Amino acid sequence: MLHIRLFIGVVAIVFFAVTFEFIRKKHLREEYALLWLFTSSIIAILSLWPGLINVLSRFTGLYYITAVLAIVFAFIIAVLMHYSIAISKMKEMNKELTQRCALLELRLKELEKAARR
Amino acid sequence: MERRVAVIVPAYNEEGTIRSVVRGVKGLGPGYEAIVVNDCSTDNTTLNAELEGATVIDLPVNLGIGGAVQTGIKYALASGFDACVQVDGDGQHPPSEIPKLVEPLFGDGVDMVVGSRFLGGAYKVPLMRSFGIAVISLFLRSSAGLRLKDATSGFRAMDRAVMEFFAGDYPQDYPEPESLLLAHLKRFKVAEVPVEMSYREHGMSSITPFRSVYYMIKVLLAMLIDLFKEL
Repeated sequence: MLHIRLFIGVVAIVFFAVTFEFIRKKHLREEYALLWLFTSSIIAILSLWPGLINVLSRFTGLYYITAVLAIVFAFIIAVLMHYSIAISKMKEMNKELTQRCALLELRLKELEKAARR
Repeated sequence: MERRVAVIVPAYNEEGTIRSVVRGVKGLGPGYEAIVVNDCSTDNTTLNAELEGATVIDLPVNLGIGGAVQTGIKYALASGFDACVQVDGDGQHPPSEIPKLVEPLFGDGVDMVVGSRFLGGAYKVPLMRSFGIAVISLFLRSSAGLRLKDATSGFRAMDRAVMEFFAGDYPQDYPEPESLLLAHLKRFKVAEVPVEMSYREHGMSSITPFRSVYYMIKVLLAMLIDLFKEL
């Protein structure tokens, strides 16, 4: 039991450190950073205070590991859905920018041609 | 005042055929202007189109057919064209047929015209492809009451009202049947006219038998969702 706690504790710390480093280097935007900092804190708290799991399961009535897994699974699905939406939105914005850029470039070319005459 | 028609030619690596397409458009007379939308080709499509005197819009990244055509529509709107025609850059659509598509827009109260291979003529397409086209036709007829024989045709014309509609939102992946359905749902009048089409001069069609099925399913799903869209 102690080994598992130790392992999860190390994972939580590494996860936290990696997230922090990504934010510091601006690889992660704040909106996502917050999500991952929150996730790593939850893992850290649970590893430091495993009794919390029992408190929570008494509080919520979730005694089965499968139920907990289902919640984790739902969380991951929600995150992935969020990313799909974000990517779709970015693709649309990217398309608009590409079109605007190409049309402006053509306009510039035409204006240059007219100015030379 | 004479009406101006933009002939939008989406082109991806069509250096072998683009010159004859642009020349054909020029041959139609002063009312028609060729607007080539180069979808980030890696060959000399732009150069060859400009040599024939076409206006060329160079997309800095590849957007696919939907994004390319929509760029042409946006340009035609901003430049005050009265209508536009979409013509493939591979020589499949003879420019001499363009006036047949444009005529119904002026006078007949039609907003969008599709050039059909199957009305009248005996144009042959691969079996899986014609099956896909038939299923899409059936869907359009039964779900929205839109009767078209060749909804996948990329040879079409539209007036300014439809252009404004599509400048705001245009399907990106396989836009042909979907855009017709959207226009119909938006209560634009969509009509079909028979046209001659030639077989591709260069290159291969991007649609293989397996892809035909994938295409059909994807288009049907997209159109099913379109029926519930707020337009």
